[in-house]
Parts: sequence; C-alpha cells; structure tokens
Amino acid sequence: MKILKFTFVLCLLAVISYGQKEPHKKIKPKRTDNYIRMKGIRIGADLTRPFQDLWTKGNRYGTEFSADMELWPNLFPVFESGLDFMKLNTDYVNYKSSGSYSRIGIDYNILQAENTNDKNIFYLGMRYGFSLAKQQVNSYKIDSYWQPETGSFGNQNYGAHWAEFLIGMKGEIIKNIYMGWTLRGKILVSKKDLGMPPVFFVPGYGKATHGFNADFSYSIFYNLPWDFRKSIDRKKAAVNEAKAKTTEKQKSGGTKPANKK
Amino acid sequence: MKQLTFLIIFIIVATACKEVFDIPPQSRLKATLVNAVTKKDTTYVITIKPIGHDSLFYNKERSGSFILPFSPGESTSFQITFDSVIDTITFFHKTTTQYESMESGFYYEYKLKQIKSTLHKVSSIQITDSLINSTLHENIKVYIRPLSSGSN
Repeated sequence: MKILKFTFVLCLLAVISYGQKEPHKKIKPKRTDNYIRMKGIRIGADLTRPFQDLWTKGNRYGTEFSADMELWPNLFPVFESGLDFMKLNTDYVNYKSSGSYSRIGIDYNILQAENTNDKNIFYLGMRYGFSLAKQQVNSYKIDSYWQPETGSFGNQNYGAHWAEFLIGMKGEIIKNIYMGWTLRGKILVSKKDLGMPPVFFVPGYGKATHGFNADFSYSIFYNLPWDFRKSIDRKKAAVNEAKAKTTEKQKSGGTKPANKK
Repeated sequence: MKQLTFLIIFIIVATACKEVFDIPPQSRLKATLVNAVTKKDTTYVITIKPIGHDSLFYNKERSGSFILPFSPGESTSFQITFDSVIDTITFFHKTTTQYESMESGFYYEYKLKQIKSTLHKVSSIQITDSLINSTLHENIKVYIRPLSSGSN
C-alpha cells in the first residue's frame, strides 16, 4: 500500500512539474534593417521574353518592362507590363494570338541587409495579372478517310485574369544597375468563354488550357537616382516655413493696439 | 564546364522536342456482330467497301467486330459482305466539329440519327450508343442471320 501511495505521489509530482515547465518559445530576432535602402524608382526590362520561342511549343515572342520602388522598408510595390505574341503552324492548324498584359503586386525582401549600401534583395512576391488579347485560327484541316476538310475561325477578342506567386533575387552589379531572376507560379483565375475554339493562349500567362503555369525570367534594372522623398520633404519644409512666416506676420499685426472709441 | 555542357544539352533537347505535335483524333463507329438466333457474339469473314470511295476498308478479314469511318456529310453508306452475302447499310448522322487542342487540331464527332439496311444477311441493327466520339467504343450491334436461316 505504501509503495502504491509513493508511486502515486511521484506521478503527481511529475505531472505538476511537467505542467509548470515553461513553454518553449521561439524567439524570432527582430530585423535591424528597417530603413529604406533603394531610393527612387527602379525600371527594368525582361531579357527572357524575346527568347521564349526557344522553350515554348510554337513561336512565342514578347517584351516586358517593370517598375518598382521601396515604398516602405523591405516592401516593393511592383508594376509590370508587356506584349506577347504566339503563332502556331502545324500540319493541322494555323493559329495566331497577340495581346498586352499588366501585373500589379508587391515584393517582400527576406534578405537582411548588412549595411545601408547593401541593396541586394532576395524576395517573395505576389501579383495580380490581367490581359486583353485576340486570337484567330487562320486555317485548320480535319483529316478524314474520305477527304480532308478545311476551315477557319474569325477574330476573337478575350480577356483573362490570373494570380502569381514568385520568388526571386535582385543584385546591384554596378551603381544603380541591377540584375535578377524570378521563378513564378501562375494560377488562372478566369478567362472569357469563347465557345469554339476556346482560348488557347493568354499573353503574360501562357497556355490557357493549363490551370497552373510555371515561368522563369531574368531581367536587368536601372534605379533612377531620384530621391522623391527628399524633394517631398523639401516641399513640406518650404510649405511649413511659409506657414510659419504667415503666422508670425499675423501675430505681429495682431499686437498693434486697436483704437477704441 | 559540366554545368555548361548540361545547359547546352538541355537547350538542344528542348528545341528538338518543341515542334512535336500530336495528330488530331478520329471518331469511328464500332459495330459488334451478334448471332441473331443464339444472341451470342460471333465472327464472320467481312469485306467493307464505303460507297463513294474506291478502296476497300476491310478485305476478307475474319472478325467479330468492325469499325467504320463516317463522312463529314449527313449520311454515310457501306457495302458490307458477310461470308459472301452483301448488305448495304446507310447511317444518317449529325456531324459536329470538335476541338482537341490548338496543337493537335480539330476532329468530327457524330450523333447517329437513323440506320437503314438491306436485310440479306443482316437481321437487325441495334444502336447501343448513338454518340460516336474519339473514344472507340461499341455503338451498334449487328444481328446476323446464321447460315440455316437463309436470306431475305
């Protein structure tokens, strides 16, 4: 009986001591680079868009330009826009599509800067993309035991929306000149239902038949060395100074004794 | 150097594969031959000549089923010889253009509306699935009179 009592007390103590154990908290070190390193707007050109033909079925060409800026520490709102063309000429179909697209989104830099001159970033980002385009099947052929039949479909205008999640990096190679790559995962949100034939290609997104597309890009950037914040601060200071002067004048005018009758 | 070689090989392979396209599918009717008396699947020596086409589609082949290519029009007729007895079967169908993909193209899909046939060796024809699409499956059963039943 004594042994049983002893065992019970021991177990109770063990439970109490376990309960009193402090929860193991993960302490995340705070970022020490909460300052803006890249002043001004950075504009870029995608070097891979004109060469998409090398790894895409059919003939795909395009151009893309971007603009981003460090509006808040480590946060870069981004705007990207471009043109995309697709041609497909097989034994059975002659197809072409062209259109423009734009993306807006934000990048978050996860690479902590070593000093204020360290402008390299490794980032995670997201985008919302939309496109306006047209497609045309110039001719198609249906092979048959009897005799091949040919036909065509006229011009079709359409639009599409998609979301993108991306990872990438940008490094300053020489003063104000950056280069960087991105890996993108694109998820098609919606596209216009055209009937026959359906949308095959969405500029900026890729094949519309795929709900998910992956993409890679490599770009060159130039950071316009214009610190807009400084000029805003200067303007604010000038306005404040003017206001102060006006108040001072009013005050000095107000101290004059009024003639009372 | 190793990475560069790998990159060059990758580009060559990607470029070589990029213009390989699948051919569009074709929709064909599949018929199963059934003994009209025993109601069991049976085999016959068959010869099929599409009417309006010069070549034979089947030439004295022993089989328990056959497939037929339809024309893009509204009807397609075939002269079918079962063990040297000839029957003419005409299929009336609705033809629609279908999209497979922009890379492989378009094809026809058919909906069987009516079947007319001479009844020499053929006893009757039953439509099991009127939709003839790119997936080959049984569309009709052709009931054949056995030798003892004679001809109509």
